[in-house]
Amino acid sequence: MGALDGLKVADFSWVGAGPRSTKDLADNGATVVKVESSVRLDLGRRSPPFAGGDRRNPDASVFFAQTNTSKKSVTINLSDPRGVEVAKKLIAWADVVVENFGPGYMDRIGLDWETLQQVKPGVILASVSVAGRSGPLSGLRGYGNSAAAWSGHCDMTGWPETEPHMPPFAYGDVVAPMMLTVAILSALEHRDRTGEGVHVDVSQIEAMVHVIGDLFAELPTDKPANEDAEMTPHGVFPCKDDRWIAIACETDAQRMALAGVLGDGSVEHATANWDLVELEQRLIQAGVPAAAVLDGKGLSEHPDLNAAGHFVAVEHPVIGIANMPAPPYLLPDTPSDVGPSPCLGADNLFVFAEIGLTDAEVQDLTAKGVLV
Amino acid sequence: MTLLSGTRVVVLADHLVDFGGSMLARLGADVTLTAAAPLTPARQKAWHKGMTRSDKPLEQLLGNADILLDDRRSGVRDGVDDLAGKHPRLIHVVVKGYPDQDRPVTDLTLMAQSGLMHVIGTPDKPPLRLPGEQAYALTGIQAATAALMGLRARRQTGKGQRITLSALQSAALANYREAVMYEHTGRIGTRRGNMLVRGKSGVRQIWSCADGYVTWSMIDNPGMMRAVVRVMQEHGAAGELAEIDWDAILVADTDQAVIDRWQSVVEAFFAQHSRDQLADWSLKHGWGLSPIIRLDEVPNTPQMKARAMFDADGVPGPLFAVHHMGAK
Repeated sequence: MGALDGLKVADFSWVGAGPRSTKDLADNGATVVKVESSVRLDLGRRSPPFAGGDRRNPDASVFFAQTNTSKKSVTINLSDPRGVEVAKKLIAWADVVVENFGPGYMDRIGLDWETLQQVKPGVILASVSVAGRSGPLSGLRGYGNSAAAWSGHCDMTGWPETEPHMPPFAYGDVVAPMMLTVAILSALEHRDRTGEGVHVDVSQIEAMVHVIGDLFAELPTDKPANEDAEMTPHGVFPCKDDRWIAIACETDAQRMALAGVLGDGSVEHATANWDLVELEQRLIQAGVPAAAVLDGKGLSEHPDLNAAGHFVAVEHPVIGIANMPAPPYLLPDTPSDVGPSPCLGADNLFVFAEIGLTDAEVQDLTAKGVLV
Repeated sequence: MTLLSGTRVVVLADHLVDFGGSMLARLGADVTLTAAAPLTPARQKAWHKGMTRSDKPLEQLLGNADILLDDRRSGVRDGVDDLAGKHPRLIHVVVKGYPDQDRPVTDLTLMAQSGLMHVIGTPDKPPLRLPGEQAYALTGIQAATAALMGLRARRQTGKGQRITLSALQSAALANYREAVMYEHTGRIGTRRGNMLVRGKSGVRQIWSCADGYVTWSMIDNPGMMRAVVRVMQEHGAAGELAEIDWDAILVADTDQAVIDRWQSVVEAFFAQHSRDQLADWSLKHGWGLSPIIRLDEVPNTPQMKARAMFDADGVPGPLFAVHHMGAK
């Protein structure tokens, strides 16, 4: 039994910011039905890498597979009013509705807040967007870097006295879904206590603001880079073969231990002659906080992560066996269970029967292009 | 925010759970901070916001607690497991640096192991971390999540449980790209500065404008490209970009020299206009461009003001917006 067994989620979200949150829910036992379109594919299904390099197969994206573990997939054409009526049946079944559509889309297709409450009193609506669903930027369409730009992250990333830096990944698509999971679970606590549904509205910009809350309290005039206010030495230092080690000493005891390994001179010069793995082990044994800077290979092969079950080998009908990330927490009485991502529309028959459509209705609506 | 009103939380903090405790407080829980490792005043202001400090014995604090966030970055505090074990409905979230090792960790060493630093920065300099204390913040978020998962489970089972969480996994989970790219393509990401490399070419992400910087990239989105070029044409600045059929080309497959030439046209246009002007055009026409807001400007942006994001203390307050509170 998972922590969220019995929880039902109608998931209208796509790409990264919504699906990573509903993955959290699904991995922990919730039944998450992902509403998709075979006409307008989730861009996640078009995102590399692809199993066997098969970018034309909507079920071959490993990016999508990692972001949508343990879910079910149905196809509904929401541009057809008959599709919206089917969506309402799904909402009537659900405890939580999740969406990250473009601004105003839910209202335009007739799935506004008031309608949702009529369809399912007390249902929770969870939205995630670049800037939130209110305020002058509520209409902002953006990519992953938009939230970094508006939140101060980009301004504070990089080396001092250089232009702002934008890393090659969408950090807003990482922290916003984490905040969305917290929002949904909190809203469920509230509903279970009061019977009230709420609309929780997560902004990527605000999620990124929160994770640099300490910088807003301090307002540094330039980028901190690898420096720290409390620790010295604190930085990333070269080892042999163009590899790097991070060292951060908090106490005099750690600084003495570091000197015991590297001597009293420049840390940077001292580390340059060391093999990374050997130095990391020596420093850890000496009680110095130190760690190798890992690349994708190092992360994939990390012995501690693999021993802890951080990556779970999951069999997928198209991708085969592939590693999927698991939740970082272990609830021994109600453990998570990471299953494969769904193939497009794989659960149409099961889910549509569950929400009350007959086989004949499903066949008819499919033939008419409504359930595709 | 009162979503967690009535939930009682005790926090033993040593950097890994501080933000998690503060998050639960900002959601309306009654959060007591005890035995916290020292922080700088600025970090304390941010990471301990909303929590109430107490020197009462842990035994007393746990008497009516729903959740205990137990930070073991520097080791276990004496007697905690015995005390927690006396409360069968308690959700005891134990947070360590590594899942099965007691090795010293800091935010920097955790970020080093996340695989993110390897791709942040420029090739001529060491790997770089994200600003602030991201490994600690990510672990705090997961600590709050684990606690809330425990609350949900308790509604089903009637019992609390001892949940374990590692900061290493919390930081690694933020890296959605590097491990999977290596496993399925053999490719290992490198530091490329502000260049976004996709396919055989790279595009710029950061541009100077008349009064600062903006972020925008020439990606394969024909509608977006047409929208940008249309405004450039109105200002007589589109040059050869006006002649390109954006539906017929793939930027990712275009030669770098050609992309650089196209980007020089954009560069000259952006340099003549302010952040506000470019941002207005972006919002109006769907460019996908954003102004790069300086840290000290963020709290006073109209969006942050409209959503009451920052409190009077200069630190962000509500974690997200809640609408329609009280709907039955």
